[in-house]
Amino acid sequence: MRVVTRGLLGDLGSPVLQLTDFMSNWIHYLTVPMAGVAAVSAHATVYHSVESAQRACFPEGPSFVAADITLTKAQMRSIEKATGVRVRLNTQRVWRVEQQGALAGWFLVDEVLGKHEYITYALALTPDGAVRSIEVMDYRENYGYEVRNADWRIQFLGKTKADPVQLNADIKNITGATLSCRHVSEGVKRLLFLHDLVLKR
Amino acid sequence: MISCLNAEVRRCRPLLGTFVEVVARGPHPELVQRAVEAAFSEMERVAASMSVHDPESELSRVNASALLRPVAVGNETFHVLTLSLGLARESNGAFDPSVAPILARWGLLPSYLGRRQAGSWSDVRLLPGCRVRFHRPLSLDLGGIAKGYAVDCAVNALRANGACSGLVNAGGDLRAFGNEGEAVHVRNPMSPGSLPFMTTLREAALATSSPCFTQRTYDRGEVSHLVDPRNGQAITRAISVTVQASECWLADALTKVVLNDPACAETLLERYGAEALVLSE
Repeated sequence: MRVVTRGLLGDLGSPVLQLTDFMSNWIHYLTVPMAGVAAVSAHATVYHSVESAQRACFPEGPSFVAADITLTKAQMRSIEKATGVRVRLNTQRVWRVEQQGALAGWFLVDEVLGKHEYITYALALTPDGAVRSIEVMDYRENYGYEVRNADWRIQFLGKTKADPVQLNADIKNITGATLSCRHVSEGVKRLLFLHDLVLKR
Repeated sequence: MISCLNAEVRRCRPLLGTFVEVVARGPHPELVQRAVEAAFSEMERVAASMSVHDPESELSRVNASALLRPVAVGNETFHVLTLSLGLARESNGAFDPSVAPILARWGLLPSYLGRRQAGSWSDVRLLPGCRVRFHRPLSLDLGGIAKGYAVDCAVNALRANGACSGLVNAGGDLRAFGNEGEAVHVRNPMSPGSLPFMTTLREAALATSSPCFTQRTYDRGEVSHLVDPRNGQAITRAISVTVQASECWLADALTKVVLNDPACAETLLERYGAEALVLSE
């Protein structure tokens, strides 16, 4: 891997900065030694439990009545046919939302799998089946991150004791790839049709 | 004294075609929760007026009719168009918001954005009264700047609602505010599981552009969502450009200048007090 820098590496590490300063043109290539894996970490964040997602989606504080459903093979096929989205499981976690005994909406918890990510999300629907809100509950990437020795060393070279970096800190923020939310959009499409087919009466 | 770090809220929603995460800290949970809601509302508002995927958006109305007559838009869309065209001029077209017809041809944007013999950014006129006019057939796409702009709006909303510190991350376009430094890792485009760089971001924005995750085949050639506007070719080499700047719209847009014209980027980075990190094979 080659690294080209301007300025930023004042924060990221002095070896690179020195190279940049030494040469006149701003494109400089540096081979970063990729020796030794220091830590393997996963990028996973839990945003909500079921209860906190329910509160976030319905802050008016209604009651949630568990109403899980099991789809028949015919229903699964019908959802797949109508939406073009694969129905992986025949069970669906559903809560009927009630305010003073009247239907106030639906709350569904669903999971989608991307190529490298695994997402649990909550979908809140109005009584007539329109999307009220979507909350990601749990997001996991399964790349198995390697944070390498040399890279951390570069990082530390640019740091002072006043600005400590925790080696074992969770990976919370990543820049570098725009992950599409397509799988969640497809999941929502599938659940909207499921509402139409099974919940709407 | 009430500590500003009593409460932290971290939320994630699908928005702007990606996952948007908002982290905010403040004196008590209700205040922080309200601030986070306001931040998401701001981003939904920007998405609704500036999306090319929504045929009802202000930008879509411009694309549909600005060749025939001047089209009036809201202050905010006009402001982002002004920023876009300003940067297009300053970069001699290395940043160009009019590459939509090419992306439409490759199937990466809706097909109705496709145009034959399309003009470029220099054929767009911004007129008094927030009106937009095209002098040649073209389609504008603010995808290279609006996500960053939405992040800026979200940060402003968090502050205005009393949050003391936090971070908004829209699929890698992110901005941190407050005194808490936020650790941000930079992904290696050649090997997404490896995070070779990390920085602590404080009162600054970071955006990354890389073709490595959107590459696909079109007409037996490789294409991606990144285009060199001067030759209409897709950028398909293994490269990732990260720019740090004071605001996220700027970081977002400058990544395209660094990709397409490094020599010009040097001047612009200096002018805006911005910095770039480029990873390549």
